[in-house]
Amino acid sequence: MKPADSGAWNRTSPYAILFFLGRIIRHVTRNAWQSLAPLFAFLIAYQGDLASKLMLGGIGLGTALLVGSVLHWLFFRYRIGTDSILIRSGIVRKKQLDIKFDRIQGVNTTQNLVYRALGLVTVTFDTAGSSANEGQLPAVTREFAYELRTHISSGKSSAATSGENEVALPGNALLKLDWRDMFRIGLADRRALLIFAFIGPLMDQRSDEFEAFINNTLQSPALDAMQLDVATGAIMVSGVFILLAALLVLISVAAAFLRYHNFELFLDGRTLRSQGGLFTRNEHTMDLEKIQTLQLQQGIVQIWLNRFLMTVRQAISGRKQRSSKLFVIPVVTIETADMLRRLLLAPDAGRLTQNPRSKLFQPISPYYMRSRILFLGLLPGTLLCSALYPAIGIASLTGLIWLPIVGLFCWRNWKRAGYLHNNNELVRRSGLLGFRTVGLLFRKVQRVTITQSRYQRRKNLASLKLYMASGSVRVPYIEHEKAKQLRNYILYKVESSQQAWH
Amino acid sequence: MFENPEIALQELPDTDSVQWQALDPGYKKLRRLQNSIAVLLTTAPIVILPLALRIPLLATIIFWLVWIMFATALLVWPGIALPKRGYVLRDKDILFRKGVVWQSVTAIPFNRIQHVETSSTPFDRKFGLATLQLFTAGGSGGDLKIEGLAAETAEQMRLYVLKQAGASIETS
Repeated sequence: MKPADSGAWNRTSPYAILFFLGRIIRHVTRNAWQSLAPLFAFLIAYQGDLASKLMLGGIGLGTALLVGSVLHWLFFRYRIGTDSILIRSGIVRKKQLDIKFDRIQGVNTTQNLVYRALGLVTVTFDTAGSSANEGQLPAVTREFAYELRTHISSGKSSAATSGENEVALPGNALLKLDWRDMFRIGLADRRALLIFAFIGPLMDQRSDEFEAFINNTLQSPALDAMQLDVATGAIMVSGVFILLAALLVLISVAAAFLRYHNFELFLDGRTLRSQGGLFTRNEHTMDLEKIQTLQLQQGIVQIWLNRFLMTVRQAISGRKQRSSKLFVIPVVTIETADMLRRLLLAPDAGRLTQNPRSKLFQPISPYYMRSRILFLGLLPGTLLCSALYPAIGIASLTGLIWLPIVGLFCWRNWKRAGYLHNNNELVRRSGLLGFRTVGLLFRKVQRVTITQSRYQRRKNLASLKLYMASGSVRVPYIEHEKAKQLRNYILYKVESSQQAWH
Repeated sequence: MFENPEIALQELPDTDSVQWQALDPGYKKLRRLQNSIAVLLTTAPIVILPLALRIPLLATIIFWLVWIMFATALLVWPGIALPKRGYVLRDKDILFRKGVVWQSVTAIPFNRIQHVETSSTPFDRKFGLATLQLFTAGGSGGDLKIEGLAAETAEQMRLYVLKQAGASIETS
């Protein structure tokens, strides 16, 4: 089963039947009514008691699933060539997938509990095409997956001529996350905050019912006996909230353990690889050449924890439905982030820092703040006051409180905005409550736009927008002359570069 | 021998000195015609509706005045906006400018172009016009859409862009 024995059609391990069984069950669940309709029809027509009907149904369904899985495994073949991998599948509707090595963005593996016990993995080929045409090889050994990855990398780099490969063996881990990091990831998980955001209005809406519930609870004979008063009730409500919050944090931490337990990051030659997970172990790879942007993010909780979330984007990440294809390093210190940056963007870039607190960042024009206050604060505030004046009179002026709030936010936003660049790369900083820095290489830019509003033209300012294959990066309100210089230089770098951008 | 001369920023080609090419004059006529049709089709309901709904006269007059202003702007706008649009084909890239209030200049290097497309609607064909669209990686739609080109110019530009894009791929 070695990639070197390429040319012949191979079958995966019989344990792949489990993979196909899971896939069929998922398919049946999604299309339950259509899939189970014949079985229901048979059960209704069959004369007998309920227990025997259910037993018969269970046996029928189980047999159908098992036979289907075995047939899928029998009809699943693959062949590894010098520059592509062919996968044949399907029982009635045959499908042949030809995945060229140079189209493969990453070779990822997944290992559930059963496969872990058996030392097997499922390999997924991450391609730039649609997800429907993404290839998977179930139940292959870890060694095979590693050899395959090496074979693909060497096939891409040397067009599979010599059989030699330049792919380095896995070295020491660049980063390892321990149990404390799982707590950090859990605490920083924004989904917990989102749940609070939903619970807040819900509690508000149902406040009457909630009060009635509390009153009833307080008036229950058991609690009467304990002589609880309203203050105790309020403490109880607060306790419920705290418990709820603790529960949400606990769920987030548990999710972090599930996803990132024993997370390790490696650099195998020019391939970045991460692995981690408690039950299902995921291994994710990305070729360094494919990197389009590096993002470092720090929310409020992460500021408190002094940690960052690092996201590496490749070309396919720009497509909305493929957002799950980001390479995420869930928790890093700034020193680790800068070290990773140097490694990932080497040799032609990586010298700049993405530390949002760096003094090297150049500020953008304060007129950025003024225009925002005007359009987001003054105009809506005045309109609101004018609209409310006939109804509530002088009290409508309270609407003007909107203005300092917007002003404060705009000031904060402006203070956090900035950029720095050298001859090869640019880092843009932004944020409101937290920070976000995005780094990119000039030679990978797809197109450049300079935009000027009337206000900006008066102040001789402009906004520069750089479009990458993974999304865009905007540097707002810089001097027009500077924007033009940067644009011309980026065009020069792109047009004179002999290196591939993808 | 390997050379790596230093590049002075001032020596890089700028867009200030380029000769912007205007869109085909027929495009202005087409846009005016399209806008006139839209105004004509909507005027009758706009006039009749307030009367049918017996809206107070003052409100009706204000409504009509707003409509007249909007319709006038719609008819005048192509004359203001379209002269601001222009394109330049250079050896290594294409530039496109547009905008009255928000003005923008977009540059796409030929070695980033994935594919090129020309299209024309029945109205375009009547006026001998076509639209050229350039696609780069990562964009969801056409990354640069130049409407209102003479059909022949659009075809010539398509061939030129393809040639330059192909040449850049061969070079790299």
